[in-house]
Amino acid sequence: MMEKETLRKADFFSGLAVCLLGLFIISQGLKMPMKDSWGGVMNVWFVSPALFPLFVGAMLVLLGALLVRSAINSIGLAGVREAFVYLGSHRLAAYLREEETIRFYGIVVALLGYVFVLVPSVDFFLSSVLFLLLFFTMFYCGDHAHLLRTLYGMGAGFALLIAMLALTLDKTLATAIPFPADWLVLCYIIILIAFNINAFRANQEDRRKLKISLIIGLIAPLTIGVIFKYFLMVPLPSEGLVVALLDAVWYADFWS
Amino acid sequence: MLVFERIQNFFEIVLSMLGDPVAVAVLFGSVLLGIIFGAMPGLTSTLGVALLTALTYSMDTDLAMICLLAIYVGGTYGGSYSSILINIPGTAAAAATALDGYPLACKGEGGRAIGLTTTASTIGTIVSMLFVVSISPIISHFALQFTSFEFFLLAFFGILISGTLTAPDLVVKGWISGFLGLFLACIGRDRLQFFPRFTFGIPELDSGIEVVPVLIGAFGIPQIIEVLKAQTQMAKAKKLQRIIPEFSTVMRNIPAIIRSALIGVGIGAVPGIGEDIAGWVSYGTAKNTSKHPETFGKGELQGVLASETANNACVGGAMIPLLNLGIPGSPPAAMLLGALMLHGVTPGPMITFEHPTFIFEIAAILLLASVAMWFTGMVLAKQVVKVLFIPTQLFMPIIGVLCIIGSYSLGLSVFNLFLMLPVGIICYFITRMGYPIAPLVIGVILGPMADENLRRALMVSQGSFLPIFQRPVALILFLVIVFTVISQFRWYKRLATMVKDKLFNRNPTPRT
Repeated sequence: MMEKETLRKADFFSGLAVCLLGLFIISQGLKMPMKDSWGGVMNVWFVSPALFPLFVGAMLVLLGALLVRSAINSIGLAGVREAFVYLGSHRLAAYLREEETIRFYGIVVALLGYVFVLVPSVDFFLSSVLFLLLFFTMFYCGDHAHLLRTLYGMGAGFALLIAMLALTLDKTLATAIPFPADWLVLCYIIILIAFNINAFRANQEDRRKLKISLIIGLIAPLTIGVIFKYFLMVPLPSEGLVVALLDAVWYADFWS
Repeated sequence: MLVFERIQNFFEIVLSMLGDPVAVAVLFGSVLLGIIFGAMPGLTSTLGVALLTALTYSMDTDLAMICLLAIYVGGTYGGSYSSILINIPGTAAAAATALDGYPLACKGEGGRAIGLTTTASTIGTIVSMLFVVSISPIISHFALQFTSFEFFLLAFFGILISGTLTAPDLVVKGWISGFLGLFLACIGRDRLQFFPRFTFGIPELDSGIEVVPVLIGAFGIPQIIEVLKAQTQMAKAKKLQRIIPEFSTVMRNIPAIIRSALIGVGIGAVPGIGEDIAGWVSYGTAKNTSKHPETFGKGELQGVLASETANNACVGGAMIPLLNLGIPGSPPAAMLLGALMLHGVTPGPMITFEHPTFIFEIAAILLLASVAMWFTGMVLAKQVVKVLFIPTQLFMPIIGVLCIIGSYSLGLSVFNLFLMLPVGIICYFITRMGYPIAPLVIGVILGPMADENLRRALMVSQGSFLPIFQRPVALILFLVIVFTVISQFRWYKRLATMVKDKLFNRNPTPRT
């Protein structure tokens, strides 16, 4: 949690956001049937589907306003002005470049990329291996400079993949090579591993950490994926190159 | 049902569980997993229950409950390991334990402290189990008299009290968090008229927000971000000596253990309040009632026993409103409620009719889980503490993968992930700004109950709120809600102080 004064300044903005959300809920609630007929049922206010959202919206507006008032009481109008000045100041720019903030970007970009780009369109095993290796190399091996380099590489990789999917190049390429997105991610994983081996060549401790990362990065997705796919019978979000290979092994009739 | 019959029924269930080798294996395995989860800083019993909900989805209800309750019990206890040995609470529930646990470990008494907390946690869980068995039928019978107004007020009270007691900063933020949860619960087609609310034409939102992925996101993602962002370096764990506690020490501390267990059960039974608050309240009580309060914080065994007994007793306490009213007593209990719903069990006053032995089964699992926890703690403590050497940077990303595959597998829908991650990131930010997560989660769970019951009640009364004042339980709940709200106002606090000063003929308390 933040420090008390910073919290109060943040309260001013979060209170406003809550008020706006409350107003939005009320505006949407007012569009719901209050007295009209819906599905053959004539509405009265107390059975209307709008009743509860209107109540929730009104409460959020009230509580948000209370929070704004309490923030202003605590830091005064000068404090509010200071908070607005901070938003356009170099101090904010410096905060956005702090090591901890950059680590936050690394985590969020990796999570967003994994959930919105990799999981829906790339083989689950490959996407999970890439996700884990990115995390391990950013946070377990190496220093902050290495994290930054990996973050840029990760951004570029995701951008390339998004471009490929947006331009439906994967569908065009699929006529020539099966699972083109999977091959692209596989290439990315190989480049990432080669880059890290090269980066940690000189440092024995980092080499040891990279070795551990590689082992866990490969074994964990395989274990999790196999448990869900073959033991819990849960089809994986995207089944491609590796799943096809595993299926061939799992369902092979060795005894005939 | 006669008391004798009840006892007989209960022990039959215990024996039948013990006679099933699969159930026993799952019990011990889940307790061990729970202890590991609890011991590792950054992983919580709530997250453990959330992840296992996905894994137990295909199991039958009984086995799934063994698994989930065992990980809950083990996880709550496991937090004490890292609190005592490295001064970092494995879970928020064990935060108070670190105050005296670590100084004890520094004195070379870490093994003794763990042995005693294991025993105290076991006693705490058993005491809470006794309350589940004895109080549940009374509450259940009482709750059968409830009408829609009472259920609406009860749900509303749950959200409000959870917001009041869990807010780390301002109470109003706890309430906002609860109402945000209620808003999330509004999304989807309403259950009375099937009208789409806040769906924006997205068909996946028609059936409403899936509770379990939202819970996984709300508890898992902020934890992952927080731990990896902070890059916490683990301290070197203190060595363990003899773990098995001396019988005389246990007996000497029995009154304190029982008192802490009662505090734990009481706090657990309040909707939405977790094990962490139970631990702190019990620790505070032990310190205030001690003849040597100055020894607390310097390695006082009673401090460790107080917090650890209470947090484990809270598990059973949280089961009481969950089973009888359908209102979760703590965040892990909220996850359990989600899991129960996935298995087609709807807790509430009707549970004793729909599943007559269910409450006994839960009590039996609590009893067996506490015994399994004691054996596992005594035998494997020295091995389990080795997990404290695993860097968080290695296991947190794996937890991320588990959160994602777990959320997906609960409806085989990638949309669940698109919901889970933004909810998780928003929860991270609001946690940083001092908003508690528990009321939000309770709001998401109790929202449909509050919405439906409010409208049903008004339908019956033709839009009149008068029945609230005509029905005793509704009136009591209404007054408690009003009191909870007005007790937060500054003028009320001033008035209360003034009245106290007048009543006890004290000099007026100076205003601060």
